[in-house]
Amino acid sequence: MTPQPTQKPMRQIMLDCLWYDNPIFRQILFICSTLAVTNVVANTLVMCIALSLVTALSCLTVSALRNWTPRTIRMMVQVLIIAFYVIIVDLLLRAYWPQMSRNLGPYVGLIITNCIVMGRCEAFAGSNKPWPAFVDGLFSGFGYAFVLIGISIVRELLGMGTILGFPMPYFSTHWDKWIIMVMPPSGFFILALVLWGLRSIDVKGKKPC
Amino acid sequence: MKDKPVFAVVFMFVLTAVCSFILIGLARLTSGHVKANEQLAFETAVIKAFPQIQGTSQEEPHTLFLRDFVKTKNDAVYLYQPQGKLSGYAIAIEGKGFWDKIRCVIGIAADQKTITGIYFYEQAETPGLGARITEPAFYEQFSGKTLADGDRPLRIRQAGSVIGQSDVAAVTGATQTCIRVETMINDALAAWKQEPVQ
Repeated sequence: MTPQPTQKPMRQIMLDCLWYDNPIFRQILFICSTLAVTNVVANTLVMCIALSLVTALSCLTVSALRNWTPRTIRMMVQVLIIAFYVIIVDLLLRAYWPQMSRNLGPYVGLIITNCIVMGRCEAFAGSNKPWPAFVDGLFSGFGYAFVLIGISIVRELLGMGTILGFPMPYFSTHWDKWIIMVMPPSGFFILALVLWGLRSIDVKGKKPC
Repeated sequence: MKDKPVFAVVFMFVLTAVCSFILIGLARLTSGHVKANEQLAFETAVIKAFPQIQGTSQEEPHTLFLRDFVKTKNDAVYLYQPQGKLSGYAIAIEGKGFWDKIRCVIGIAADQKTITGIYFYEQAETPGLGARITEPAFYEQFSGKTLADGDRPLRIRQAGSVIGQSDVAAVTGATQTCIRVETMINDALAAWKQEPVQ
């Protein structure tokens, strides 16, 4: 039995996930999807919602089963639970939102290999009560979401002159669209700038990295 | 008890069984929807390959499709027969794109020469480049073009070249997608031309 760590207050869990231990710019996890799904804001939004739900529910389940799960096979159990929720999301998208399912392509399935989900299950859910684990998972998803949505807004605006498909003034008419912005490499550039920017901000108690 | 190896095996087995059971149930529940979605996407594409239909009718694609289109022995070819009169052919085309499978439907008028329209209903090309084949600016060019004789009835030409009666302009920056689209269309047309007219 793993010893119960001292309970973190809920507020601290949320803040950690959103900022101090943000999965993207602090932990640098799941960067691959950052490059792939941020070319258009709509895709990013759905991906972020799917990821937040999968992370939250997986953490909840892993945490609920933590006292019965033998330590030797805990990774297998985690992957099984994550895959279970991801397949549900994939099935629902395919049945009720086929257009979005086509847009996201293989990336919904790739949530299974997402290091954020696995990371939170292993680091937090495995040794905490179900409710805090759920909140931790959900807010890790949100922490991922706000960075990605920011990146996707920049990419869609500069690359296509639109946001969520709506033409923006100036950018849809006079702006010379940057084709590189809709290609995967621009995800690297924008992500690097975001990391640089956010990591230079001196958060209280923590030095900029 | 928890540390015995046999417990781990049983635990994993039970958990897998429960998860699989739920997923199989859900997959069965939604499979009807998934199939219907695919069929509807195809039917809508067939209607869009005949732009003259949209101007005259407000009906649902599914109703229109059932009423005006007749399947032939060749699974890929449908006859467009409003009021029983043969007015064109809808040819379903499937081929490799730059990244993934591309599916489209091309409409040919009853003279077997004139393209009525084309519509791409499944693709995963680069957004903003290859994916622009789904934009009207690209696919509307096809309407009214004539198929040339020979093994390349239709050409997708690079920007700046002279666009003839059997040519359309390529999407700039999507050369690979356009080459593949041209190939798949020409292959399908060649296969269709070899079939005896019904």
